[in-house]
Amino acid sequence: MASLFKDPTKISAYRDRRFNGTQEEFEQALLNSTTVYIGNMSFYTTEEQVYELFSRAGEIKKINMGLDKNSKTPCGFCFVLYYSREDAEDAVKYISGTILDDRPIRVDFDWGFVEGRQWGRGRSGGQVRDEYRTDYDPGRGGYGKLVQRELEAQRQLVDYGAGSLGSFPPVMPPQYGKHGGGHGHGGSYRHGRDYHRKRHRDDDRHGREASKRNSDHESRRTSDRDSRPEKNPRFRESGDSDDEEEEEEDRKRRP
Amino acid sequence: MSSWKSILLRIGDKSSEYNSSDDFKDHIETCFGALRRELAHSSSEILSFLLQCAEQLPHKIPLYGTLIGLLNLEDEDFVKKIVEDTQNSFQDALDSANCDRIRISMRFLTALMCSKVLQPASLVVVFETLLSSAAITVDEEKGNPSWQARADFYVICILSCLPWGGAELAEQVPEEIERVLVGIQAYLSIRSHTSDSGLSFFEDDESGGDVVEKDFLEDLWERIQVLSNNGWKVESVPRPHLSFEAQLVAGKSHEFGPISCPEQPELPSTISAVAYGKQKHDAELKYPQRTRRLNIFPSSKTEDLQPIDRFVVEEYLLDVLLFFNGCRKECASFMVGLPVPFRYEYLMAETIFSQLLLLPHPPFKPIYYTLVIMDLCKALPGAFPAVVAGAVRALFDKIADLDMECRTRLILWFSHHLSNFQFIWPWDEWAYVLDLSKWAPQRVFVQEVLEREVRLSYWDKIKQSIENAPALEELLPPKGGPNFKYSGVNGQEKTEQEQAISSDLNNKVKGRQSAREIILWIEENVYPTHGLEITLSVVVQTLLDIGSKSFTHLITVLERYGQVIAKLCSNQDKQVMLIAEVSSYWKYNAQMTAIAIDRMMGYRLISNLAIVRWVFSPENVEQFHISDRPWEVLRNAVSKTYNRITDLRKEVSSLKKSIISAEEAASKAKADLEAAESKLALVEGEPVLGENPAKLKHLKSVADKAKEEEESMHDSLQAKEALLAQALDENEVLFLSLYKNFSTVLNKRLPDASGDATLQSLKSIHGDSMAVDLEELPTMEVDDENGIAQKSQSNGGKATNNVGEKEQWCLSTLGYVKTFSRQYASEIWPHIEKLDVEVLTEDAHPLFWKAVHSGLRRLSNEL
Repeated sequence: MASLFKDPTKISAYRDRRFNGTQEEFEQALLNSTTVYIGNMSFYTTEEQVYELFSRAGEIKKINMGLDKNSKTPCGFCFVLYYSREDAEDAVKYISGTILDDRPIRVDFDWGFVEGRQWGRGRSGGQVRDEYRTDYDPGRGGYGKLVQRELEAQRQLVDYGAGSLGSFPPVMPPQYGKHGGGHGHGGSYRHGRDYHRKRHRDDDRHGREASKRNSDHESRRTSDRDSRPEKNPRFRESGDSDDEEEEEEDRKRRP
Repeated sequence: MSSWKSILLRIGDKSSEYNSSDDFKDHIETCFGALRRELAHSSSEILSFLLQCAEQLPHKIPLYGTLIGLLNLEDEDFVKKIVEDTQNSFQDALDSANCDRIRISMRFLTALMCSKVLQPASLVVVFETLLSSAAITVDEEKGNPSWQARADFYVICILSCLPWGGAELAEQVPEEIERVLVGIQAYLSIRSHTSDSGLSFFEDDESGGDVVEKDFLEDLWERIQVLSNNGWKVESVPRPHLSFEAQLVAGKSHEFGPISCPEQPELPSTISAVAYGKQKHDAELKYPQRTRRLNIFPSSKTEDLQPIDRFVVEEYLLDVLLFFNGCRKECASFMVGLPVPFRYEYLMAETIFSQLLLLPHPPFKPIYYTLVIMDLCKALPGAFPAVVAGAVRALFDKIADLDMECRTRLILWFSHHLSNFQFIWPWDEWAYVLDLSKWAPQRVFVQEVLEREVRLSYWDKIKQSIENAPALEELLPPKGGPNFKYSGVNGQEKTEQEQAISSDLNNKVKGRQSAREIILWIEENVYPTHGLEITLSVVVQTLLDIGSKSFTHLITVLERYGQVIAKLCSNQDKQVMLIAEVSSYWKYNAQMTAIAIDRMMGYRLISNLAIVRWVFSPENVEQFHISDRPWEVLRNAVSKTYNRITDLRKEVSSLKKSIISAEEAASKAKADLEAAESKLALVEGEPVLGENPAKLKHLKSVADKAKEEEESMHDSLQAKEALLAQALDENEVLFLSLYKNFSTVLNKRLPDASGDATLQSLKSIHGDSMAVDLEELPTMEVDDENGIAQKSQSNGGKATNNVGEKEQWCLSTLGYVKTFSRQYASEIWPHIEKLDVEVLTEDAHPLFWKAVHSGLRRLSNEL
């Protein structure tokens, strides 16, 4: 259907450079895969939000959140694996370009998840696109990593004194025009709100670990929140740290 | 894209190809000029692209028809080929029951007639062929009236051509077309009225009493009669051929060979109501009704058009939705840019909502229509959002009568829609629902929309979005954290011992002990001293807690320690306990409850039957009319079962296909081998195998391998078929159990069966006589500005839902009986005999019986 306007052979503009195989094999993989890649997500978006939205295209088999190599927290992308090809196609057709957590997300066919693909490929651990960004994007950790390092360096040159900066909004004007809104809340507001909300949710769930993490967050917040990405509090860290191995194992079998 | 292609594609659109002109005559001349130049060297390419355009852009068919008429003056052979190709594809479509192609081919033929490419008489022959097939089908002696769906479809197709060519036919072949219309009238008098109460959007449609609502064909017939009395004038259909009439008359008319309609299937050999009903169900699956009109807006908004214009615009819109699924930009731009001289936003909204809510299934997933509505809101920011809001308000006002399945779709759509528009909605308008009983459908609707919004976003955000009606916070779901019995806080009543087991288990999991080790530990140290109940509770709660951090964590725990749970919950009773434990752990989070149960069914830790039993346990039954929670779990379980069966069917059919090719390969290899062997034998006069032993050996091994392959495929097919047969048996058990449970709970609560029990009479039983706990009533919010209180008063007249609790419970539950029956009708029909014997007995309540039957679209007069 709709063959008049769509080139059915052109399935994705994106070519994964880590794919081991020829262009033809890559395209073949995309044509048969039941996995979709989701990009431009907020770091705060949870698997359950993804589940609610993407299950409207079909029954979901698995979700793999993209994680920052270093912090092991979500870094703005994920893979959703469906049971059927048709459902994956519908997810691409009907969800790409729509809003999740106030952001337009991108949904593309993916050649299939393999272990290791959950990690960000950027130098600093997150996605490459978050290395070089110069805008302030509160849903994706503030400034790009390069800009953050620069700000950090500046701060060390000029000693502002610890704690004084934390309470100020970001130095560069945030670019809100891009992600919709039109609603006048500033970046620091959203930042703060998300921060608290997630902490609440975490507290509910893991009372025992919360105190330790809170103090961790608090100190970070007062000292260097303008330059370093905030730790994503919505990510329900376990603290018991065998998650990576778990994730590896859980891929061996499917329901 | 080469330029002639984009000129052909863009004809009729305001586009750069046509210098933004919107004069159809210019367009046709420009396009004709471009094609004429190319015709000599790319005629076959033009031909196939032109036919493709006409099929996929059917609202432009009059333009393409005129264009072809002009081409006919240049190159008769080219147009002759167009006619032949159209005839072939039309015949194929008839044979394969490709409804869209049949319908569009006929419109195309009509346009060719208008531009003198076809004789009007040829078109009349097509009409008569279809009409006589239809008349035979509904003839009780010669035909098979259970296939009326197809007969109706053929007649609808004939009538659908008339807005496009009625004027020409009436002018050029008045007697013949009159004959066709008389024939249609005769057909209408033989066929039976389709009263598909099972598919109507609103429950009250069926009980209108004396006023029988027209079915789709009767309605269309009336519109066509008005059109005919009106001199066949249609505003919504462009007539570009008129501008070229002087030229077109010179064109040669082409032959259109005879077409034939497939025979209708034989009547079942044993004539029984059940066999008849099954055939009717099959026919309706193959020839589904394209749309049902959903009247949302007051008629002043939509009825200023001629009756036929409404039909034509609906056709346009439905075709754009059909062909531009997946092309967002084009879909939205064609939807808003139809070639009609009037505004149609309201009609467009009604048409899209009629598809979103279409029963039993819309042509595409509901999320497609969600996307279209979003895109139209962006394409027409000044007009469409207000129309959508109006539709929501109108549907909300009638929500108590809206079909249950439609309510669920509306909730999912609305929450998703709002999530794309910053969750902005004038919630204060609906704040009055707080004054309604907690089972009032409007209140439940608001509560479920908020639940879904929270799932798509997060609690605080949604809380903030209702700040214009802060009292509605009462309807927000709880914040959603787990309810862990053994968290060690809040001084739970759990004993220290149980607490200790939980933390032991937690440590063992962290220490990466295997499932086997844990099973042993439970069997030796926990179960003997604590017994089933406590062991199950501690183990399940603790494992769920370990997997509570995310969907993936849950899956990981279930994959690693599922066996522990399986060992503990080895029968249905224990599985029901397991589900209850899951529900208790996630009692503040409906989504996680549903997901966890769904995954456990996925890992076969719990059966669908256990889920049905749990759904019908007393604490859930009490929720039936006030929450979607139990229904979501039930929907998931039935749909997962259905998906498994669908997968098995697909595997079986693909195996069958591969077996055919494997058999071919095997027999070919065998033939090769035999040929080689006999050849040797002939050459030598006696079998000497030594001449080319290597080749022979090779052939032999190929043949053996092919044979082996074939055999192993037969084996796997057998295995799959056995699995499928088993799954179908289990499905029968599932539906029997589902219906028995429904019947039992309904029998307990429905008022005593009297012959004329109707839903209306249920609704008219008011709650006054019911003892309602005062505590259960929502406390009136005293608002400082009095805004809320006033609102609720002003809406009091509208929201006359004072149906009693028990009555609402019955209405909701009957609504779900109908929903499940309708959605899985194709799976239920094969088991209908058993269902009749075991569930739909004399003891079944008439309202339950009626809900099942209307869901299955089983007419009572067939019984």
